[in-house]
Amino acid sequence: MVRGPAQRQIRPARVYQTVTTLMEHRIKPRLAVQQPVWYKVVESIPPSEILTRPFPPQHRQPNPRARKASRLFQPQKLVYKEDELRKKFYTDHPWELARPRMIIEMDGKDALRCDWSKGLRQPGMPLSGECVVQRQMYLMENVPGITEDTAYDQVRKEFYKLRQEEEIERRIAQEEARMVGAYFGQTFQQVGMKLEDQQFERWKRWATREIEKIQGEQTAAYSSFDASEDPEAADLDVDSLREDLESTANTPPA
Amino acid sequence: MIIREFGVRQGRKALAAPLRRGQQCMRALSTETSGTPVATADPAVEAALQTSPENPTVPSLFARTAKPTRRRPVAPDTTKADWETAQQLRHNLRNVGAQVEHRYSPSDVFRNPPGPKDVTLELLMASQAHMGHHASVWNPANARYIYGIRQGIHIISLEQTAAHLRRAARVVEEVAYHGGLILFVGTRPGQTQIVTQAARLAKACHLFTKWTPGTITNSDKILPGLPVEIVNEHDQPVGGFNQHLMDRRALVPDLVVCLNPLENFTMLRECSQANVPTIGIVDTNTEPTWVTYAIPANDDSLRCLAVIGSVLGRAGEAGQKRRMEDAKNGKVTWDTPSEIKQFMDIQQKRAQWTKRAAEEEAATKDKSGGLNGKPSSGSATKDSEVFDESMQKLQMEVDAATADDVSPQLRKMSRRTD
Repeated sequence: MVRGPAQRQIRPARVYQTVTTLMEHRIKPRLAVQQPVWYKVVESIPPSEILTRPFPPQHRQPNPRARKASRLFQPQKLVYKEDELRKKFYTDHPWELARPRMIIEMDGKDALRCDWSKGLRQPGMPLSGECVVQRQMYLMENVPGITEDTAYDQVRKEFYKLRQEEEIERRIAQEEARMVGAYFGQTFQQVGMKLEDQQFERWKRWATREIEKIQGEQTAAYSSFDASEDPEAADLDVDSLREDLESTANTPPA
Repeated sequence: MIIREFGVRQGRKALAAPLRRGQQCMRALSTETSGTPVATADPAVEAALQTSPENPTVPSLFARTAKPTRRRPVAPDTTKADWETAQQLRHNLRNVGAQVEHRYSPSDVFRNPPGPKDVTLELLMASQAHMGHHASVWNPANARYIYGIRQGIHIISLEQTAAHLRRAARVVEEVAYHGGLILFVGTRPGQTQIVTQAARLAKACHLFTKWTPGTITNSDKILPGLPVEIVNEHDQPVGGFNQHLMDRRALVPDLVVCLNPLENFTMLRECSQANVPTIGIVDTNTEPTWVTYAIPANDDSLRCLAVIGSVLGRAGEAGQKRRMEDAKNGKVTWDTPSEIKQFMDIQQKRAQWTKRAAEEEAATKDKSGGLNGKPSSGSATKDSEVFDESMQKLQMEVDAATADDVSPQLRKMSRRTD
């Protein structure tokens, strides 16, 4: 299969002309080329023009001080007013990005079902930073005399209030459920801590074994000397390990 | 357990009928025989049970000596009653629980395939038809279709997509109307359902595995002896063409729709060599000159491909429907392929000559039986000679036609008018 640099082909766009030539000029005089089924179709619906470089859609104001045109025939960047607002919101609330978000659209008319004059909560859309941005945009466009910062502050506070409400609702639901006998397993954090503790205990066992091994080697090496003579003979390595072990054993597991 | 579901679960349990115990359970639970009759399918056992316990009948010698049958008693069929109970339960619980809102499901497009008239920019945008590739891997030949750059990727202009898609749908419809053979190709994983559905709608062929190189250009070697059928304008098979089908060449499609031109360069190249128009979905990194009709769209999104495939399939369906309606009214929208026409001419002439020769022979016999005793088979021999000559001539023509490579327009569904 041919990948790599694309090869221009001239025949596909010219099937009609090719077959017309074949039909008109009989290469074998006794053999008539029959008109293909698609002939009239392609004649009435010709392929569109390609391979011409059009002037691309312009999305920015031309720079009046530019001396020469740059990237004249290349597509331009799409920039919208919301981009700045979005950037500001997510810089201020980076953990909003950690919330799962649905980005699939149903039929493309999802935005038409939202009315941002009514607040941040919209049908079929969970509360997210996008709600803040859209509502702020609405206020900036429709409330006379409102600045970007004022609108941001107003919407931000609405957002906080709703998030708080959500949190309280969730807590109460949890309490109610616990009251009637529901139980929830460990949270992700608890699971994570448990795994970490397991590894930690493993390391402690390993470290104890290592200390014993080193000490055994040392006693074997100094077997000719009096064992009670030299307590300083222990290596630094063993000391540091033991210190580590003691300090970690004293600290309660998180 | 969540409290909201409490009502649903417990309510269902409370309303449901108690568990029906089989006969075996009853027997296992009680060692003594109960006076209550138990439904059994075996009439002998039933009769034995129905007798009063006061005067138990002495079992016959056969019954005493016979081993118990292995056959299990058949429980009465309660499917209908169960189903009715379930319906009743569903009716009773219809207001319990949350209302589930219908959201997007990937199978929606297969359940209710959109047609060319349903193509809107919103639909295309929701199905992510506008997403191109990274700006660095673009093919500048697609500059015409690109609206701008967003977050590093090219955004395809949906107006262009819609316009080109409608144009392609029109081509598919017209080719189907003229009885052409359409082939839908999509060889990436996940495109099988899209391709098969489009083919089913448009009464076309599909390919979702690798294109064997040379299927068009070397078809004599790759597709020998595949079954081909001759049909009339009502798509009913027509007999009497066995001889022709034995030595005709393989078929070439009249239109090829390719969902992933990037992986099917060989196929598109063969199509262009055989002068077959092609329709292809062209992403921003695809070469648009490989296909006759390009549809600029995102070829990596299965949702987008499903929409485009179903639109083209629906267009083909409309074309086929129109063709069949016209056929009912006596209008045939296609011409008989030339090789079939030749075959039919030969057959016709052969039949004529045979008939004439037979007549001549009969006439000679009559004459010889009459006044003139001399057998005069002169005219008959002359006729048969002429017949042979003309047959040779025709055969030569046919040989010339089949040996030449100049005419690649062989049609799959070679048709003839009745």
